[in-house]
Amino acid sequence: MSVRVRRGRTALGAVLLLAVTACTTTAEKDPAEPPKAEPGTLRILASSELSDMAPVFEQVERNTGIKVRPTYMGTLDAVDLLGKGRAKGAYDAVWLSSNDYLRLNPAAAKHIVSQTSVMSSPVAIGVKNATVRKLGWKPESVTWADIEGAVADGNLTYGMTDPSRSNSGFSTLVSVASGLSDAQSALTDRDVQQATPRLKEFFKGQQLTSGSSGWLAEAYDRRGNVDALLNYESVLKSRKDLTVIRPRDGVVTADYPLSSLASTDQSTRETVRRLTDALRSPATQRLITDRTLRRPVVASVAPATGLDTTRRRELPFPGSRSVADGLLDAYENKLRRPSRTVYVLDTSGSMSEDGRLDRLKKALTDLTGDFRDREEVTLMPFGSAVKSVRTHVVRPENPRSGLDGIRKDTRELSADGDTAIYTSLEKAYEHLGADDDTFTSIVLMTDGENTAGAGPKEFDGFYAGLPRKQQEIPVFPILFGDSDRGELEHIADLTGGRLFDAQKGSLDGAFEEIRGYQ
Amino acid sequence: MRRIVAIVLAVFLIGGVAAAVVAGREEQDKGTATKTVLGMIGSEKAEFFADPDVVNALAAKGYTVETEASGSWAMEDLDLKGYDFAFPGSQAPAEELAEKYGARQPLPRPFYSPLVVVTHRSTAEVLADNGLATLRTKGNGILKMSSYLKAADRDTRWQQLRGADKYGELTGTLFISTTDPTSSNSGALYLAAASYVADGGRVADSTEAVARTAPLMHKLVGVQGAQQSSSDASFRDFVSGVGNPLVLVYESQVASLLAQGQGVDDLTVLYPDTTANSDHTVVPLTEEGRALGELLSKDKELRKLAVRHGFRPQGAAVEFTAATAAHTTYLNQKLTGVRQAPVPASKVLHEMARQARG
Repeated sequence: MSVRVRRGRTALGAVLLLAVTACTTTAEKDPAEPPKAEPGTLRILASSELSDMAPVFEQVERNTGIKVRPTYMGTLDAVDLLGKGRAKGAYDAVWLSSNDYLRLNPAAAKHIVSQTSVMSSPVAIGVKNATVRKLGWKPESVTWADIEGAVADGNLTYGMTDPSRSNSGFSTLVSVASGLSDAQSALTDRDVQQATPRLKEFFKGQQLTSGSSGWLAEAYDRRGNVDALLNYESVLKSRKDLTVIRPRDGVVTADYPLSSLASTDQSTRETVRRLTDALRSPATQRLITDRTLRRPVVASVAPATGLDTTRRRELPFPGSRSVADGLLDAYENKLRRPSRTVYVLDTSGSMSEDGRLDRLKKALTDLTGDFRDREEVTLMPFGSAVKSVRTHVVRPENPRSGLDGIRKDTRELSADGDTAIYTSLEKAYEHLGADDDTFTSIVLMTDGENTAGAGPKEFDGFYAGLPRKQQEIPVFPILFGDSDRGELEHIADLTGGRLFDAQKGSLDGAFEEIRGYQ
Repeated sequence: MRRIVAIVLAVFLIGGVAAAVVAGREEQDKGTATKTVLGMIGSEKAEFFADPDVVNALAAKGYTVETEASGSWAMEDLDLKGYDFAFPGSQAPAEELAEKYGARQPLPRPFYSPLVVVTHRSTAEVLADNGLATLRTKGNGILKMSSYLKAADRDTRWQQLRGADKYGELTGTLFISTTDPTSSNSGALYLAAASYVADGGRVADSTEAVARTAPLMHKLVGVQGAQQSSSDASFRDFVSGVGNPLVLVYESQVASLLAQGQGVDDLTVLYPDTTANSDHTVVPLTEEGRALGELLSKDKELRKLAVRHGFRPQGAAVEFTAATAAHTTYLNQKLTGVRQAPVPASKVLHEMARQARG
C-alpha cells in the first residue's frame, strides 16, 4: 500500500523547487539545471522551509566570503533525490528540516558523511486567541488528548500541510499519531492500527490542506472560520493572532542539520564545516532566532523573546521506514477526509496544436498513479460548452477500476470547439455543491482565452451569489499554451486558489504539485 | 549496511588534518626529517588530531599524522593496507584488527573515556527519588544500572515515577537514548554494559549468552525509534535542548565542552554504576605506527592535549584530575562508585547489536 503513496513522486521531486511564498509557481519536470560548481559557493539542496534564511545567508557571506546557493525542495522529495544518487555532482551539501526520515532510507543515508544541527523548531498548534478563551485552555498544560477532545466536540477545526509533500505536515502527523496512540515510545505498526479510529476522528477537524506553509496561512486568513493551524512553532509565532501551544505530552522537533555529502571532495567539506561554524557562532544564532523565530542550538544564546523555554518531551520518531511510510499511507488513504476534485479541461480546437492534447493526456494518465483511496475525480472536458461530466471514485476495495475509468476517459478526449472557461467553471461549482465531508477543489487547465459563453463579469456575479460553503471551493488554474495570465490570476484570487505555471514548467509537474492542495 | 557505513566514512578525510598534512609535506620538501604516518581513526578523535596544538606537538617529535575517520566498528571491513596504524574507540574491534593484521601485543592504549548519561537536574532528582540513581553533587551522580534495567524491562513510564508529574517533559517510556549500535561505538558499548548487568555479571561469549539478554536489548533499542548515527549528534541535540531527557554520551564530550568554558543549563552527569569504557586503542600496523602509539601514551604534552579534548590518559590520573579541577560539580574525577563492564568480543557484540536493532 505504501507504494501507492509514493507513486508519482519522481516528477514531484522536481516540482517544489521554487520559493514557497510566491503566489505563482513554475512547475518543472526536472530540477532547473543544477547550479554549476564555483569556488567559494556552496550549492545546497535545502528544505523549502529554509527560504526565510536569506538575510542570514547574506550576513554569513559578508563575514566568511562563503556564498550559499540554495535549491529549495520538499524534504521528503529531497530524500528521494538523494536515494536515487542524483545529488552527486549537483550539490555540495544538503540542509533539510530534519534527517529523521532520511535515516530510514539507507540508499539516501549513505550519501551523508556528517551533519550538524543549526537551529530547531518544534511542531506546535497555533489556536485563535478567542478559541483558547472559549475552550478555557491554559496553554502550558494542553495535551494532544485535549486537542482531540475539542475536535471531537466540534469546538476546534484546523489546517495543516500535506504530510506527503511537506516536512511540517509529516512531523505534525507523527506528533499527532504518537500523541493519540497512547504509544509511550517509538510508534509501531500496531500502534498506528490501534489508533486509527481516534486518528480518523481527529482528522475530521482538518478543514484546510496545503502543499506549502505559505498558502496554508493565506487560505486560513481567507476562510476566517478555521480555529487553528498545526505547523512549526517558528511559522505560527510569526502571527500575532494565534496562541502557540506546544502540547505538554510531547512534540517532534525539526533540528535543521547541515550535512556534507560523501560525493564531495575534501575542500568542499571543509567549506561546509566553516559554514556550519559560522552559522553556529553566537552572533549568527542570535540573528537566526530573532529573524526566523526558530530556537538557537548553542547554550550561550537565548531563544527570541516570546519563545517559551519550558522543556518538552521529544516524541520518538519511528524507527523503521515501514512504520513511517505506513503512517503516511494510512493518512492519505484512510484517515484524512477524502478529496473531491473537478478537472475542468480545455479541449478546444487549439489543443490539437503543438501536441498539446497529447501532453494533457499523458499528464492525466501519469496522475492516476497518485490518486488516493476514496478520492472522487470528475473529468469535465470543455470546448464551446462542457462536453461531458464523468465521475470516478477510487474505491479502496477495488482502486483499479476507478483509475482505469479515468485513463479510459482521458484516452477519449478530443480537441474541437471554442473556449468557454467561465461557463464550464460554473458547471463545476454546481457539480460539487456544498460538502462538509471532503476537501473539494477545481483544477482549471486551459490553453487559451475565454471565447464563448459567460464572461468574467458574469462569473464574478455567479461566484458572489454562491452560498458561503461553495465559495470556499478554490480553483487552481494552470497557465498553459496561450492562456491569459491576468484572466487566470483573477480566477485564483477570486476563489482563494493558486495559479500554477505550465508555460515555463511542464503540465505533468503542475498537476503533480496541485495534488498537495487537494 | 555496516559495510556501506564503513566505505562512506573511510573516504571522509578530515579537513583540518589534511591541511596540516599539506603544511607538513612542504616542510618535508625543505629537508626536515618528519615521518608521515597514516592512520584510520574513530571519528570521535577527529577533533583531537585536527587541533593545531596537537599537530605542532606531533611535529615537534618528528611526526606528521595523516588521518582518515571511520566508525570504530566499521574498520574491520576496511582494507588497511598502506596504513601505519588503526585507532578505534574501543578495545574489542582493536583486538580483532590486531589479530587480522598480526599486530604485536600489547597494544598501546593512550586514553579512555567512560560512557555517561547526561540529563537535567530535575530529571536526575526524579530518578534519585525513585531509587534509580543517587546524586553525589548537584551536577553528578550514579545511575543504578540494575534498577534501571528492571524498570526498562517492565516498560516503566515516567508517569509512574514519583515526582515526575511536575515536569511536562517527563512522560512516556523511561529510556536512555543511544546511537545506533549496529554502526556506532557508543551504542554498542551501551549494550555491552547493559547485557553484562542483565546477565548477572557475565560477559556474553556465545550465541546462547546473546540469546539470554536479546529480548531486553531489543527493548532498550526498539523504544528509541530512529537513532542518531554518531554520539556527536546526540550530544549536540541534548545541548540544544532537543530530545529525550536521558542521553548516553562519552564523558570526554562533556569534559571537552566544559574545558571550552561552555555550560549547559542545570546539566547533570550520571555515571552508570556499571559502565563500559571507550578504550582508545592503537593497533600498530607498522613500526612507525607502534612508535606513534607509544608517543601518544607517554608524551607529556600530548597527554595534556588529550585531556583538553576530555579524554582520560592511561595510568596515573593526575593530568585529568588537575585539568578538570574546576568542573568537579559535573565530573566524577576518580570514578568513585563506577565499575567497568568487560566488553564482549567483536563478533559477539555485533550479533548482539544486530538482534537488538532487528
